[in-house]
Amino acid sequence: MGRKTIKYPVYTIALALYLFFIVLPVLYSLWLTVTDGHFIENIKTVGQDSIILLLKSSVLAAVIAIISTFFGIILGFLIYKTSINYRKFFKVIILIPLFISPYILAVAWRDILLLFFDKIENSNSFFAIILVHSTIFIPLSILIIGSALVNVSKNLEESALMISGFKRMFFNILLPLIKPAILSSLVLVFIFSISEFSVPAFFSVRVFTTEIFTQFSAFYNHSLAMLQSSLLIIVCVLLLLSERKYIADSPFLSIGTRGKTTKLYDFKSFNKIAYLILIFSVFIMILLPLLILLYQSFKDGTDDFIEAFQLLIPTFGNSLFLALTGAILTLIFGFIAAYFSEIYRKKLLDSSLLLLFAIPSIVLGIALIKFYNRPVLNTIYSGVGIIIIGYVAKYGFIAAKMLENAIKQIPKSLDEAAKIQGIKFYKRINSITLPLVFPAIFAAFMINFLFCLGDLGTTIMVYPPGTEIMPIKVFTIMANAPESLTSSMVLIVFLFTISIILILFSIFRKIFTAYNVNY
Amino acid sequence: MSIIKLKNISYSYDEERVLDKLSLDIEKNKITYLLGNSGSGKTTILRLITGLEVPQEGNVYIENVLVSIANSLIVPPEKRKIGYIFQDLALWPHFTVYKNIAFGLQNKKESDIEKKVLDMLDFFGLKDSANKFPHQLSGGQQQMIAISRALVLKPKILLMDEPLANLDIKSKRKILKYLVLLKENFNLSIVYVTHDHREAFEIADDIVVLNDGKIQDSGSTEKIKNSDNEFVKDFLEIEDD
Repeated sequence: MGRKTIKYPVYTIALALYLFFIVLPVLYSLWLTVTDGHFIENIKTVGQDSIILLLKSSVLAAVIAIISTFFGIILGFLIYKTSINYRKFFKVIILIPLFISPYILAVAWRDILLLFFDKIENSNSFFAIILVHSTIFIPLSILIIGSALVNVSKNLEESALMISGFKRMFFNILLPLIKPAILSSLVLVFIFSISEFSVPAFFSVRVFTTEIFTQFSAFYNHSLAMLQSSLLIIVCVLLLLSERKYIADSPFLSIGTRGKTTKLYDFKSFNKIAYLILIFSVFIMILLPLLILLYQSFKDGTDDFIEAFQLLIPTFGNSLFLALTGAILTLIFGFIAAYFSEIYRKKLLDSSLLLLFAIPSIVLGIALIKFYNRPVLNTIYSGVGIIIIGYVAKYGFIAAKMLENAIKQIPKSLDEAAKIQGIKFYKRINSITLPLVFPAIFAAFMINFLFCLGDLGTTIMVYPPGTEIMPIKVFTIMANAPESLTSSMVLIVFLFTISIILILFSIFRKIFTAYNVNY
Repeated sequence: MSIIKLKNISYSYDEERVLDKLSLDIEKNKITYLLGNSGSGKTTILRLITGLEVPQEGNVYIENVLVSIANSLIVPPEKRKIGYIFQDLALWPHFTVYKNIAFGLQNKKESDIEKKVLDMLDFFGLKDSANKFPHQLSGGQQQMIAISRALVLKPKILLMDEPLANLDIKSKRKILKYLVLLKENFNLSIVYVTHDHREAFEIADDIVVLNDGKIQDSGSTEKIKNSDNEFVKDFLEIEDD
């Protein structure tokens, strides 16, 4: 009898690890919610109040999704489809808020709003959340919509322009063609926003995520917290599944559209207005928060800045190590999921990543604690392992999606040509696929590294006592610290993040040159 | 004597039947053209011969060896001694011309590899382009690199999937002449897919005309020119118009 071999060993191992370390804890926590004996009682407790809170959070997230997508279309068009000068500069700089932890911008905007209001409460705190979240998620919308815009065939636009004006072409041809990307933007921003915890917590606004956090951390009512979490999971999963078709087919975060030509518009007289819009956006989204942080940090001298620096020194190494490890592992799982999903139609790992992405960070954190808090798994629970698992669970989908789109752009014949020549599976991946998706690998790594570096939602739930991590340190100190110290800490985190981005860019640039990626 | 034999092959993509109980013999050391409209099943036949696809019904033989049966691959693509020129040529964009040709030559001494690659480039007069990247070459030169890459592995069969579709007439003629030379010099059996019968009439030894996954007529160029089959007559007339 012949020995049975596993057909795709790498995929099978990755899937098994993912299912055991990440999916199982979530399923286990949901199972506990139903079977811990308080289920009926908790259902009664959840009641109307929770539903109203969920609706309130949903409305807030929907408003943010609409605002972000609206500005994403306008700014995405100006950056990706017009021939104005410095397009590349705007393309990069406008993405900065996406890579900065939401609480950093929350602190900055609090300082700005305090110039206009005596204190931030009720209605203006809602306004503050919308402002901060929109600032963070507009770049995401620009990225999604911009990627779709550059992928629209030049011929389709030009053939429409032959028989109608620009306005008619824009609304009847261009916008319908990028509809999947617009829907993706709406869904993704909604999910990111409804799952986000730090900004509502910072502005003391009661939303669904803060409520779950309170039940879990203040009242130790774990099963009620999980039951409330289930409602959030259902909303997010349903949304993602219903839009999966669009998200899967749209060039979401696609990197490297080699060989494609996109039509660029030159509006001549309108160019000045376009510049004004872009400069104003950069000012509002980046410069103003940065300036106010600088002002707050140094208005009373340099003492607070030095103290903030001393407080943060122990966190730099840890945060860097965790973010690097998280980004590398996320990339590995993302690549395996993307490759096998695209080439061999093996979708289970990819679907698991999607499912976990839909679960809000805070809920994920609770699930991981409930599962790993047992003697046999104590090494993971009491070490940094649980944080890294959280990162992979939360951000694996983003890496997979970016790489999937990149793999999709490689003609299948390139792999088949190597296959016919007798090139083995691993050599084909190493010599053909990986070099061709290298720009996407770089982008996925950067994005995930920065997301991991700034993650608060999952980390705040799972970090073991005594572990010094940058976002946690800032978040815990800022509750009782004077404004200038908080602003200083946030400014240092901001500068630290920017420095790391620049260092990584220069490292990858050297690799790009060495491997002749720009063939 | 046949080198490739397809017996009662059926193949469907999703629900659509592309080949329907098709049987075909391809003669050794000949240039055989598969002629037909888009969707007639020409490319599918090539992919079944390479082993990139497996038939849902029927058998595929190469040199009288059973290589595929229904839903099962017996001999994998890399062991069939086949060279395949893809419609988009599938030149690896990140490799130089030299590396594109050398990539398949595994487990050989570097000096042997170099000799083989340079000999091949010399044959096509492209020795100076060894260090260029595919996008730095003209369409005709890219075509010859794709052929070189296939031939360097010394295949017995060369399959070509409409590779000259985007070339100008001069380059097309040049490559067609090369194909005749290749057949003789390398002892090759060439299967060539196209919808352009004029191209086929120039160099084909045998022609097979396909429609909707079925063979309408097959034989020598003369036989096809004088075919009684209504579809073939119509196809040749429309193409002439």
